[in-house]
Amino acid sequence: MSDITLIRAESVTTEPRLVRGVVIATVLALIAVLLFAPLIAVFAEALRQGWAASLEAFASADAQSAIRLTLIVAAIAVPLNAVFGIAAAWAITKFDFRGKAFLITLIDLPFSVSPVVAGLALVLLFGVNSSLGAWLVANDLKIVFAFPGIVLATMFVTFPFVARELIPVMIEQGRAEEEVALTLGASGWRVFFTVTLPNIRWALLYGVLLCNARAMGEFGAVAVISGKIRGETTTMPIMIEMFYNEYLSVAAFSLAALLALLALVTLTLKSALEWRHADLLAATRRH
Amino acid sequence: MRASILRSPSPLPGFGLSFGIMMAILSIVVLLPIGALLGRGLMIGPADLWDMVNSRRIWSALSLSFRAALIASLFNLAFGLILAWVLVRYRFWGRKLVDAAVDLPFALPTAVAGIALTALYAPNGVFGQVLAPLGIKVAYTELGIWMALIFIGLPFVVRTVQPVIEELEREVEEVSATLGARRAYTLRRVVLPTLAPAALTGFALALARSVGEYGSVIFIAGNIPNLTEIAPLLIVIRLEEYNYDAAAAIGIAMLLISFAMLLAINLVQIWSRRRIGLV
Amino acid sequence: MHIEIDELAKEFGTERALHPVSLAIPSGALIALLGPSGSGKTTLLRVLGGLEFPTSGRVLFDGQDATGLSVQERRAGFVFQHYALFKHMTVFENVAYGLRARKRRERPTEAEIGRRVNRLLDLIQLPDIGARYPNQLSGGQRQRVALARALAIEPRMLLLDEPFGALDAKVRKELRQGLREIHDRTGLTTVFVTHDQAEAMEIADLVVVMSMGRIEQVGKPAEIRAKPASDFVRKFTEA
Repeated sequence: MSDITLIRAESVTTEPRLVRGVVIATVLALIAVLLFAPLIAVFAEALRQGWAASLEAFASADAQSAIRLTLIVAAIAVPLNAVFGIAAAWAITKFDFRGKAFLITLIDLPFSVSPVVAGLALVLLFGVNSSLGAWLVANDLKIVFAFPGIVLATMFVTFPFVARELIPVMIEQGRAEEEVALTLGASGWRVFFTVTLPNIRWALLYGVLLCNARAMGEFGAVAVISGKIRGETTTMPIMIEMFYNEYLSVAAFSLAALLALLALVTLTLKSALEWRHADLLAATRRH
Repeated sequence: MRASILRSPSPLPGFGLSFGIMMAILSIVVLLPIGALLGRGLMIGPADLWDMVNSRRIWSALSLSFRAALIASLFNLAFGLILAWVLVRYRFWGRKLVDAAVDLPFALPTAVAGIALTALYAPNGVFGQVLAPLGIKVAYTELGIWMALIFIGLPFVVRTVQPVIEELEREVEEVSATLGARRAYTLRRVVLPTLAPAALTGFALALARSVGEYGSVIFIAGNIPNLTEIAPLLIVIRLEEYNYDAAAAIGIAMLLISFAMLLAINLVQIWSRRRIGLV
Repeated sequence: MHIEIDELAKEFGTERALHPVSLAIPSGALIALLGPSGSGKTTLLRVLGGLEFPTSGRVLFDGQDATGLSVQERRAGFVFQHYALFKHMTVFENVAYGLRARKRRERPTEAEIGRRVNRLLDLIQLPDIGARYPNQLSGGQRQRVALARALAIEPRMLLLDEPFGALDAKVRKELRQGLREIHDRTGLTTVFVTHDQAEAMEIADLVVVMSMGRIEQVGKPAEIRAKPASDFVRKFTEA
């Protein structure tokens, strides 16, 4: 611990102590300003007028219907995306077919499309001035400015999450275990439930976790397609915007704090999964 | 169908079912809506489309979205590389906490991030109060948009580069040292080129996400036409005016930018796979 | 069971893995498919097991056309090169898998399954490892568990892909004799793939030498040593 190690590294594959210290300090300071400060600000603003005022925000009918709607939307969109992810991963990793690479690009597409553009595309497809939309209206099926549209928009923005986690894991695991189960006489479904699913369960949970966090917090796409009908199509993030624009700061930040808590729970579970099942998620992290 | 799509038959069952479910959901959720948007563009026709996009307000919005995204992503490229290196190679108190916190922008809803950043950087906010006497205004200026985009794009480069650093062979760095290279030279000429493909992938992902970002930006931007009005907000405004054609025109312009970036990401990955066999 | 392979060919895209090959495997024989990598031996084995579908030609089991039989219907005990043990199941559950996968009518009771699994674990001389997980076993133990799992379904034949490939030299020698003994006790028609001529010569009744998707020679080990049919066979089987 002489000052030599301060300016000369103790190993050729690391930097001198002084450099490391300065870099670590800078990084920690930036993380504090860029990441932790906004997070703390949410809770500080929510509690600006004390616990009572903050809790009162949840008592309003608007807030409660927003929470309910967000939960229901996630409860439908996330399982549907999980089914999609499992089906896509099975088709893509267990079979060889033409156009596979292009298909994977299509699955990833929603990650690079603006949520607002996604909402716009859904409005143009299902809205009243498209032929499909006109037909839907004639048959009394509302998608735009209604619940189904919110679900579709949520599915769009969270679309690749589960598939992206499962595909690398299933590629790495190969097909031998499924094949051997077949030679032992197992049916397709049995192979899936007794061999494939146990092998991918942690990766699946991981994907569902991320998918759910994004689904409950989606703003842009839902803002466009929901029409923001108060008490009917306002999800929590939309309600936050409304409260905020009405200068109901405590109410806005209290709802925001609830979503921030959800984010913290998600991160905690995610980290726990990464530490406990690093081996099973290894393929995922490499992509 | 089975025979025509599959390259070779497989003993594993369920291709028809899984492929069918995949294509059905993919079509309803993604392909048909995107198709409807592009179809709308075809109906309007390229000339009218161009006329609708070709206004000062839209050009400023598009260039603002792209410029701010580029600046934020470049910051995140540099910071992400350093952060990934620190998280993998250095041991310090709180490392695991920082590692977990890097994903906060993925998990925190964008609207929540938006109002939180606004509260911090508004003239009466914690940071705003400090910066105001220095003559720096963040909230309701372009600088605020940068801050929001830095926040939402922060994890991308870290998460693509981190696994590559974990798998770096230390021998290569040692060889470089035995050949007489100083540490800085080794980092610049040996380590950095190995990380470049992953870093570029992360950069492109962050850029794609930032260009289209809406929720975190609109609260802090101030949304002054020609100055701090981003392209996605313009779409929302056109839609609220029920001017679907104009909204579609801007949407198509943004979609083309997305496609271009998706193509760039794929090219980077193909290039890097050829070069060093890493994805 | 008597196996007959009739002008069997397999193409992957434009690549020919198997030129039309024909071969008769007498009932109860222990056969080695011997050849370098890319000779088509694993493809032939997988076609027999129903894991690949031939481009043309037929497979006959006891004179009956089996080409269209699904992998489950073939009841071939298949041992994979790296064993493909189910990592999330104990050894007992691995071996019991095929019995539990049967339709309810044909499924033995749990007690009967237990008896059969234990008998098989005795047969592979690992009676006490039922509760362990695959990653707690040595390479040689894993191979024997994979064998027991394949035998549990009362297979009509035994197909092994490089069964000794992943083992070190000493264990490999021991297990060679183990396979021969199990074959002799069960009397099952057994086909195994190997690239190691010593292994093939030591335990097989009949050796099938393959190269580039073709069968070069079929014969008893001594015949192949004494009268190699081609330069390739002579060079490949030189000790």
